[in-house]
Amino acid sequence: MAGQTVGVRAKEQAEARYFLVALCAFLALMLGFPAVANLWYSFSNFTFHDLTGGSFVGLANYQKAISNPNLWAAFGFSLKFAAICMTIEVVAGLLLVFILHPLLLKRPWLTGILMLPMMVSPALMGVMYRLILNEFTGVIPAYLALAGYPINFLGRNNVYMTVIGIEVLQWTPFAFLIMLTARQGLAGELEEAAAVDGATGFRFNTLVVLPVMIPTIIIVAFIRFIDSFRVFDHIYVLTGGGPGNRTTSLSIYIYKLFFNQNFLGEAVAVSIMLLVASLTLLFAGLRLAIRRNGR
Amino acid sequence: MLKKGLLAAAAAAVISTLGATTALADFTILAWPGGPAEAALRKVVDQYNATVGKENNSKGSLIYFSRDSFFDKMLADAAAGSKEFDAMLTATYNIGKYAPFMEPIDDVATADVKATFPQSAFDTQSYQGHLYGIPTDLSLHFLYFRKDLIDQLLKDDAWKKKYAEIAKEKLGMEMQPKAPADWTWDDFVATALFFTKSINPDSPVPYGTVLQMKNLLFNIMVFEGAAASYGGNWLDKDGKVIVDSEAWRKALDIYKKIADAEATPGDSNSYEYAEANAAFGTGKVAFMPQWSAAYAELIDPKQYPAVEGKFDIIHLPAGPEGIKTHAHTLGLGINKASDKKDEVKRFLTYLGSKDAMTLYTKEGGQPPVVDSIMQAVASGRPDMLMMSDNAGKYGFVPNGGTSAEALGVYTNMAENFTGYWNDAIDQDTAIKNVVTYMEGVFKK
Repeated sequence: MAGQTVGVRAKEQAEARYFLVALCAFLALMLGFPAVANLWYSFSNFTFHDLTGGSFVGLANYQKAISNPNLWAAFGFSLKFAAICMTIEVVAGLLLVFILHPLLLKRPWLTGILMLPMMVSPALMGVMYRLILNEFTGVIPAYLALAGYPINFLGRNNVYMTVIGIEVLQWTPFAFLIMLTARQGLAGELEEAAAVDGATGFRFNTLVVLPVMIPTIIIVAFIRFIDSFRVFDHIYVLTGGGPGNRTTSLSIYIYKLFFNQNFLGEAVAVSIMLLVASLTLLFAGLRLAIRRNGR
Repeated sequence: MLKKGLLAAAAAAVISTLGATTALADFTILAWPGGPAEAALRKVVDQYNATVGKENNSKGSLIYFSRDSFFDKMLADAAAGSKEFDAMLTATYNIGKYAPFMEPIDDVATADVKATFPQSAFDTQSYQGHLYGIPTDLSLHFLYFRKDLIDQLLKDDAWKKKYAEIAKEKLGMEMQPKAPADWTWDDFVATALFFTKSINPDSPVPYGTVLQMKNLLFNIMVFEGAAASYGGNWLDKDGKVIVDSEAWRKALDIYKKIADAEATPGDSNSYEYAEANAAFGTGKVAFMPQWSAAYAELIDPKQYPAVEGKFDIIHLPAGPEGIKTHAHTLGLGINKASDKKDEVKRFLTYLGSKDAMTLYTKEGGQPPVVDSIMQAVASGRPDMLMMSDNAGKYGFVPNGGTSAEALGVYTNMAENFTGYWNDAIDQDTAIKNVVTYMEGVFKK
């Protein structure tokens, strides 16, 4: 009997390896190869005119990248943007979980409606808001003006908050969905035991639910931070990174270096640094969440 | 047996479909998407396929990217040696950047083709002495203005008095209103202030003008006519960067004054072509500098009923060096990686013929053709006649404006100049940043 169990387990492991090989090959091809190619590009002086013929230049691209003040301006924007967006998205998502969880248990189809903003491509989101926030043709400024509150959403003083608002509107549903799943995965026995002990409402949510959800919240926060840090689409469509470089994120900065200014090696070097920073953050987040879960 | 038969039939169907597709699309043209240019080129390609193409057993088909980042996508494909398109788009401001991926077409400029275009049009599609594209569409800038408002300003004594008061108070100058044909950039600023409701509560429109101040390289092309009219250029004859000059500073201050006085909409820092059209077309501004292509859109009463029959166009205001407008052409050339260069050359020769360009113009295209062709087909389209006239008289391409670095320079100027207009940086910093960048890329 024991021999049979061992045999079944070995067979499962062999099958798992078989499937893993395919997955690893796919990842190596689709992610690994571009990553290695980019790593080489970041140490070479290749150009559009000669994509395969660049020669090794050591750390020159990295030196040029970190000595460019515009990099640090873009880094500062991305960092602040990501921190603000992540905080608002996680807090709003969590509040929505607490408020809507009972309702969604009875009417789960409502979750689909709440997910709609996430389904729209970020570039399209930018185009949509370019239309509806326009002073002359936009619906929102028109109604606000009628109500006696004329606001220029894309004006020089408001544009920063507007791009944050659009990011938050689009991605809060993602934070909400992941945290809702964690909330719904909470064991029924735990709720019953808490109720017997007299923990209901606010006390139940803060003393029982919240601590259980902490690892999920950490993961969501890290994913949203990294995603917002790399923001490109809707900002590029709405402001082009301006005025000046006031809304230039690191991704927009890299794009312009690469395509508009022909500084290919420098652009790839910044990309590699961004990749390393993102992976470091993600691993740190995962370790933190796993350690906390294990405790 | 049945299975084998089915497989054979399926294979035959696939092979015959592929064969038919190949026969139907001998060569592929990557062209500028949307608007009158696309509609007109489709007609010309259809005509070619039905005539010259048919005689030579050759057929062209068109493909399009979206306008967003069109040139970046084309650059990536061309640099990778893609053969997905045989003919590709060219533009004056990036000929130098794309030339290494293109085939010179000097031999396409036959006597017939040379009779279709003035030499200046060929110059906008040439780089280092070689022709790379057949010009298809000319772009420059006009001043679009509300006739009804300007007419009243020139007649109404109360308006004239108010105009003089505003000019004195805001600009410290004794000024009287003038017709737009006689405007200098000072008149442009003074009239913009006069028609701004926050400055003149009697103005029938909220804003005097609308400036495109988004951090976008094409917006610098609209602006650079002002700098050129003050004598501004990119490089001097020795290749030295000369952007740190009085001319550029004066031109930058024109936009700055208007932005600070809020004589342009408050969100102009996110405006480009479409937003400016929306502002003018909804009747909310008195005049605007805008691309020539906007005329065809703004005269459509279904799209813009508020300005139907109320506006006109004229050249941009003058500076001390006269009237200047940025001018460039789009065109079509040959992808170096193409295996069908001869077929494309045959098509380009046809495209450059009088017949093809006449059809192209009639269908809404705006080619820089010789006057005789333009006069024959452009009745009812004053913009077409004015375009060829203004291109010759006032057209301006900065020194270095067709080089491989031109797009980078425009991009850098966009970042820094929009930053200045919107208070992100001061003027000295903006100019210093641009000069540093240009000196780096031009190695001077």
